[in-house]
Amino acid sequence: MKFGKWLKQQIEETLPAWRDKFLSYKQLKKLVRLISLAESPEFGKVDAEAEFVYLLNNEIDKFNAFFMEQEEDFIIRHKELQQGIKRVIDTWGPNGTKPSEAEYIDEMAKVRKEIVDFHGEMVLLVNYSNVNYTGLGKILKKYDKRTGRLLRLPFIQKVLQQPFFVTDLVSKLVKECENTIDEVFPVEVKEEIVKVQREAITVVGKGVFRNTVTALLSMQEIRRGSSTYGHFSLPPLDLPDSDLIHSFQLNSPIPTV
Amino acid sequence: MEAEAQAALSIQRSGASNLGVSEGLSPSLPAMSTHLEETNRDQQVSAKRELMMGASATRSSSNCGVVGHIFSSSSGFTSDLHYSSSSPHEKHSRNAPFVSQAPTDVGSFPLPHSTMSSHYNKENSGSWCTDPGFLDFPVSTPVQSSQVESTDCSGIMTSEDLCKSNEWQEWADQLITDGCALASNWNELLVDNVMDMETEVGKPCTTISEQKSQVHQQLPSPSVAGRIVVNSSSSANNAPTKPRMRWTPELHEAFVQAVDQLGGSERATPKGVLKLMKVEGLTIYHVKSHLQKYRTARYIPETSEGSLEKKTTPMEEISSLDLKTGTGITEALRLQIEVQKRLHEQLEIQRNLQLQIEEQGRYLQMMFEKQKSGLDRLKVSPSNLENPSTPSDATAELPAKGEPEAFQSDRVNPGTDTVNVKSMLERSSDEMGGEQETPITANLEKADTGVSESSSLPCPFRSAINVNPLDICLIIQ
Repeated sequence: MKFGKWLKQQIEETLPAWRDKFLSYKQLKKLVRLISLAESPEFGKVDAEAEFVYLLNNEIDKFNAFFMEQEEDFIIRHKELQQGIKRVIDTWGPNGTKPSEAEYIDEMAKVRKEIVDFHGEMVLLVNYSNVNYTGLGKILKKYDKRTGRLLRLPFIQKVLQQPFFVTDLVSKLVKECENTIDEVFPVEVKEEIVKVQREAITVVGKGVFRNTVTALLSMQEIRRGSSTYGHFSLPPLDLPDSDLIHSFQLNSPIPTV
Repeated sequence: MEAEAQAALSIQRSGASNLGVSEGLSPSLPAMSTHLEETNRDQQVSAKRELMMGASATRSSSNCGVVGHIFSSSSGFTSDLHYSSSSPHEKHSRNAPFVSQAPTDVGSFPLPHSTMSSHYNKENSGSWCTDPGFLDFPVSTPVQSSQVESTDCSGIMTSEDLCKSNEWQEWADQLITDGCALASNWNELLVDNVMDMETEVGKPCTTISEQKSQVHQQLPSPSVAGRIVVNSSSSANNAPTKPRMRWTPELHEAFVQAVDQLGGSERATPKGVLKLMKVEGLTIYHVKSHLQKYRTARYIPETSEGSLEKKTTPMEEISSLDLKTGTGITEALRLQIEVQKRLHEQLEIQRNLQLQIEEQGRYLQMMFEKQKSGLDRLKVSPSNLENPSTPSDATAELPAKGEPEAFQSDRVNPGTDTVNVKSMLERSSDEMGGEQETPITANLEKADTGVSESSSLPCPFRSAINVNPLDICLIIQ
């Protein structure tokens, strides 16, 4: 599948609310075509190329700003969640101030749901970063191919250092979230999960879950062998639970605000 | 002089509208801020308008934009340049883009009515002067120096690439005398600003200069330090663009403590929090926006008793055969988390792969550069090479193409064993695909010729690869 199409699909199916925060791949592609078609009054060509770089820089700014904004939100919410859990345990837990099993279970269920969704949102942000990086790489490759310049390599080196690509902090939060989840979820559920996984069809409704499943499937799709496979291409995706994930039925997506 | 500075700053600001203002500029030049804001707006408007318009106007504005862009991208993408003292090397790498970029927008474009460009030309015609120092810069060989040095600026590469064709070299030679002074002015400005900033920004200097490690948690001081990213959100924001702060959990912790001390999120004021936090480099804007986010995050849970209605979805949405029971819901969540974990895992793997690929590409490119310089030196002594002109011509040609190609062995010194570099790359990428580990165990025969300087390469994979320098005539794409 062509990347532009894939990208559009990715956006629409996972995070349509973030639509304009993603790479303007189509626009850049048009520009590359323009550049390669431009006859060589040197100025006209250079002009378009300058604009290309200008646009790319703008895109990167866009990614950085959005990413850091989201990251900041996540930091805040992460802390709030931790405190929320503590509060639930301290209030309705067995050793709490107003121990009540019913309330505890109830609140805990809500909290668990929150955490899992929060986890998913963070992962989707990492996915956002990745998708955009991939797009940048592709458009740069196109540019180099069409113009014979060598923009890709050094430019991508710069990109690697951009805040939006350095997802270490978000990944760290994700891992912490996973730890919290392990603590908060009852242990015996794990055997149940194995049973569930053997069920044929799981209908995944709206929500973050749906978005992450789509993202995963899309990633697998894009990493299937491509016609322009080269030494800068990624290998096909190795996904152990592929069958299970493929078995999910997906309804229409919900925007993640 | 002031006019030059204004012109330079106005151009700076045009870039700033896109990329953000150098941290150094805003505190150090409050007097000029209003002027700059107007100019900024004007430039934005005019830049936008003219991008729509025809040939010459578009040319000028977009190129001017690129110049401003590049300048502040040098400040934006490497904010550590502003905070650490300008070493000569950094200075040079900042100068290089100007020198080579100057041709693109200075000379030939008659700029009709762009406000920015009118600033530019007016000041430039009178005030530019020759600065012999700039003549040292290898504008004529942009490929080598810039690609090695210019890791700092995102836009530099284009300017260097643009210079590659012969016409541009003429431009460069012709206009280097014109362009240098502007660059030197900007540089002086930067240096001045860096000096100012260094006195103000105490602790974050060290942390920011460590930005290269790009891991927040690796801050030297256990106490709080954020990372001021010189970047701005889109120009949809209000005109005084503020550098963006990249928050960390530690910084947030300090924030929360300060807020609690002041009596809670509702009662705390940004000013008070800022004072209490005592984090240098943190501005009231950062605190204000963060406080706003904080309040929002807390308000919703408080009103709806612990559940974020907006973000969570009703549990009935996720259903399966037996997932509607209590444990079923938990199981569904478990399933969800497993999928999410899987996605995250794959993303991390993918990211590492991408890093490795680029690292490898960069390494090979470096090798190529070394070899090229080695070959240039060998040119002097034709006895070493049977075809002295062929390899260097070929290497000069290859940059024009964008495709990775390996040199055929018959084009290189037949005296040495050659291995197709492309196959080396394929081998290593196969290995990467298969094992997803750090690859590159390919071995190439070492050259027997006396190209000794080329073999002492400071490269990361040195132990793994013995590369024949003469054989690496490959353009990495």
